[in-house]
Amino acid sequence: MKMAWKEMMKYKTRYLILGSIIFLISFLTLIISGLANGLSFDNASLVKNMPEGTYYMESKAEEQYNFSEISDSQRETIENSHGDAVFMSIQMGELEDEDGQKHGITYVTATDNEFFPDVEKGELILDESIQEDGIEAGDELSTNLMDDSFTVRDFAKQEKFSHSAVAFIHPDDFMNMYQSEKYQLAFTEDEEEDIDEMSAFNQNQFLNTIPSYSAEMLSLNMIIAFLFVISGMLFAIFFYMINVQKLGTYGILKAVGVKTITLLRLMWVQMILITLISLVIAISLSQLITLVLPEEMPYQLALETSAIMAAGFFIIGFIGATLSGVQISKVEPMEAINQGGA
Amino acid sequence: MSLLQIEELEKSFKIGRNEEKILKSVDLELEEGRITALVGTSGSGKSTLLTIAAGLQQSSGGIIKFSDKDLTNMSSSQMRDVRAKEFGFVFQHAHLVPFLSVKDQLNLMIDTAELKWSKKEKQQRIQDILETVDMWKHRDSDPDQLSGGEKQRVAIARAIIHEPKLLFADEPTASLDSKRSVEVMELIRSLSIERNITVLMVTHDEDMLVYADRTVEMKDGKIEK
Repeated sequence: MKMAWKEMMKYKTRYLILGSIIFLISFLTLIISGLANGLSFDNASLVKNMPEGTYYMESKAEEQYNFSEISDSQRETIENSHGDAVFMSIQMGELEDEDGQKHGITYVTATDNEFFPDVEKGELILDESIQEDGIEAGDELSTNLMDDSFTVRDFAKQEKFSHSAVAFIHPDDFMNMYQSEKYQLAFTEDEEEDIDEMSAFNQNQFLNTIPSYSAEMLSLNMIIAFLFVISGMLFAIFFYMINVQKLGTYGILKAVGVKTITLLRLMWVQMILITLISLVIAISLSQLITLVLPEEMPYQLALETSAIMAAGFFIIGFIGATLSGVQISKVEPMEAINQGGA
Repeated sequence: MSLLQIEELEKSFKIGRNEEKILKSVDLELEEGRITALVGTSGSGKSTLLTIAAGLQQSSGGIIKFSDKDLTNMSSSQMRDVRAKEFGFVFQHAHLVPFLSVKDQLNLMIDTAELKWSKKEKQQRIQDILETVDMWKHRDSDPDQLSGGEKQRVAIARAIIHEPKLLFADEPTASLDSKRSVEVMELIRSLSIERNITVLMVTHDEDMLVYADRTVEMKDGKIEK
């Protein structure tokens, strides 16, 4: 440890450069991860706020919830097996305010449950983000799907679906608007069960049925994965170059009896110290950046996620450094003795 | 009493399709506490003999016994253990660790030899040896702050801090001027006497032979006299 630190202090510039690159990559990775989480929440907080469980929709809807219609017999079957089952429907739509301004929203309705707010007929509870458009409690909003207008009763915190604000409405209003008495989905906190002509999804699978969700997440996760690979390669290249310069010293140390594991440990300690310092700064900044980011920017980075990513960086750094450390085990004392040195 | 016995030592290298014999059935015994100088023309096999005896490369045949232990049958990890605890090395170049201070070079060797000295004892021994080689005033200096002669004195201190029985010195004065060479050889001589260290030294400098108890001349891979 002392030896590793002394070397880093002696060659401050080269370790500072590596540390800065690792910091920048880890910071970028954390920011993108924060954006990925934020976007994912912005896309589907309605589903993400619900507990883990199973979603059922009609098999013939082919994973498109808005084509699904749960029949009375299917509903009865689900209710018999899962007493707590909630039946719900989701439809994209729009609302017009008193000034004639239209707002894209997602209508959500459900049977009595503990996950969504209770709404009376003719009332709306909207996601709070719509307040930015100047909509306030008590406002009258209309839709061309229904003759009567809605009254905004209250706002809910972070309830979005497919990037639009959710509007919780009473089932009767939903049936009236969409001329259907059937619900599209059933949700239960129980584990998945085979039900005739029904497809079952866990939360993650259901999220992927939301248009654009998996495409969005896949691109961001690909970037994150690449950044991890790049940081691993950086460690490998950096320590390879450092090791090449030190092969003479390593050879002499091996000649006088220093164990290969001691030399590898020197490299690992340096890798851990660089990664640790870089990550502490990157994680702190990635948390502090929320103070300066515009509110419209979806950004969510839990410390737990940061910790998992930090562990990822340590593992990838260790692999990268160890791959380059193969040279250390191969170095022959004789080669070093035959060269000049300090 | 002999500390190191070399019997019928052979070493050959393959060069293309041909096999070249560098050492041809070499026999040599090193008496405890004495300095043996290996001399000979370039390519005579003296450095090869030293490095094989020190366990730094494998022989092609023959036996090397150190304190009745057969070094030729040891695994590389056992050989490393012997090198760390029983041998000391001085090379043509000092080969100090560039980022460690003079004191830390010695600390590293003490740790490598796995000596169970207390911190106080460690510090005392480091001070003793650095005072002996007249480098105590440079204890906190890094190698790049030292002259060639000073580096070589630190290398000698590193080679004997762990009290080895046998010191291998491969052209220890080759990179030094004549004044520094005399200083280094006098130091090796006095340490050998004071600490009863057996020395096997390769040199091409005839002026340095006055510091050896015995001179062995090699020619074409054989001991000439």
